Amino acid sequence: MSADTRIDAIAADWLARRDGPAWSALDEAGLQDWLARDVRHKVALLRLQSAWAEAGRLEALAAGLPRGTPPRRGLWSQGAGPVASAAPDPLLQLRDHVFAPRTRPPRRRRARAVAAATLAACVLALGWGSHVLTGAEPVRQATALGEVRRVDLADGSQASLGSDSRIAVRLSRRERRIALERGEAYFEAARDPARPFVVEAGNRRVVAVGTRFSVRRDAGELRVVVTEGLVRLEADAGGEAAGPTLLPAGSVAIVHRDGVLVRAMPLAEAARLVDWRSGLLVFQDTLLADAASEFNRYNARKIVIADPRVGELRIGGSFRWANAEGFVRLLEQGFPVRAEYRSDRIVLHAP
Amino acid sequence: MVPAMPTPLDDWFVREILVHERPLVHLLLRSWPHRDEVADLRQEIYARVYEAAARELPRQPKAFLFATARHLVADRVRRSKVVSIEPMGDFEPSSVLVDEVSPERWCGGRQRLARLARAFDRLPDRCREVVWLRRVEHLSQREVAERLGISEKTVEKHIAKGMRLIALHYYGGDAEGAPAPADAASGGDGLRRADEP
Repeated sequence: MSADTRIDAIAADWLARRDGPAWSALDEAGLQDWLARDVRHKVALLRLQSAWAEAGRLEALAAGLPRGTPPRRGLWSQGAGPVASAAPDPLLQLRDHVFAPRTRPPRRRRARAVAAATLAACVLALGWGSHVLTGAEPVRQATALGEVRRVDLADGSQASLGSDSRIAVRLSRRERRIALERGEAYFEAARDPARPFVVEAGNRRVVAVGTRFSVRRDAGELRVVVTEGLVRLEADAGGEAAGPTLLPAGSVAIVHRDGVLVRAMPLAEAARLVDWRSGLLVFQDTLLADAASEFNRYNARKIVIADPRVGELRIGGSFRWANAEGFVRLLEQGFPVRAEYRSDRIVLHAP
Repeated sequence: MVPAMPTPLDDWFVREILVHERPLVHLLLRSWPHRDEVADLRQEIYARVYEAAARELPRQPKAFLFATARHLVADRVRRSKVVSIEPMGDFEPSSVLVDEVSPERWCGGRQRLARLARAFDRLPDRCREVVWLRRVEHLSQREVAERLGISEKTVEKHIAKGMRLIALHYYGGDAEGAPAPADAASGGDGLRRADEP
């Protein structure tokens, strides 16, 4: 192997010492002197330093794993060989990634088996499971239709609840567990490597260490938007093959019954998907049918599309979700759409 | 204790240059007959690129990196005269475009994480354990020493070694293909030092 150089070895020694407890101003001066002597010193240090900084990202892989010892080798590798670099942007499906049974209290596993059965049972069982563990009752937070609210959690994290949404929060010494029971929530998880931040929605879990993301559940679908850091999306244990999926910032994952679809998009674009927090819905080349159902998440007076041709129009722009009528009036001006305003709904027809 | 703030130039170097280490080393290995000198060449190339970039940032970092590599190798060949023409065969212009990891692909978070996980898994046991406790669980070097029942000096050595190996495999990846046993002996410099307890 080509290995590295003498200079690399010296640079690594400097960095390891600086990482330790006895680093002094004198040491720092010595290091600066060494760096100034030769550009090769400088680039070697930069290279090792950034590799070491990158190694901190292992934390993202570690969330939820037993502490105190590294996981077994190969836990993260995809197949036996090197990660296929030929495959275009492979989703790193972390194979065999299950919690080590010996460190799991049996009752939790049992609770998890129950959870797989039905959603209702899931909520109950987990409630019972952590009740046994911590004795803590979950704290519930809910919003009404058309309400958006930001709540502070006891660990310093924040959750912004979308319209008609509900979460149940259980904080224990070992874990921060939030059940998204309905609707959508955007989380700003406070950093705490010792206590993974786990959001459950049905039989999926989204695990983060310290990061920002939103989770939203609809009838048959779950959507996760990551705007900072990295989260791990897991299927419930007991489900077969589906391994966890890693979602870096900018990911939008749509979870269906049969699988997970991940789209990587520029951060700014992903961030727009959670603009509802500030009262906005932002569309870009969006089907009018989809835009309408976005509005309907927030309003009792629904936008109903009577003609499929109307639903297929593509629109863009940013709108206040509280003002569905204003949105429709704009539509009427610029698109082949005729609206019928009723007290309980707005019906869109083709002209 | 607190590292100096990285300059924009440092950031640029990490972002635009280091990510090409794998094809760079690959190219050097195929073009330079002395494997044990490849790491030195790589370092020399980095130094030249960094110096040039300090004066003016190259518009096309990757092309600039490979051009620098080409010049350096050509230079060395002229000076040494020991090298036969044959190893230069790979320095046809086309081969400079060796591109196994495009920056776009590299920047994919999942890809990077996969490489990182693999680099981590290649560490020797003890070293892997130390790196995990220090870097992931945020134990101090002293706490790591206590936990594992080894001296702080040894912990420091494992960390130095962990940094080097992670940099090597994370940036270099498997550029050199399956490591031949003979190379392990010839590349020997410091990498094995920290192995000793």
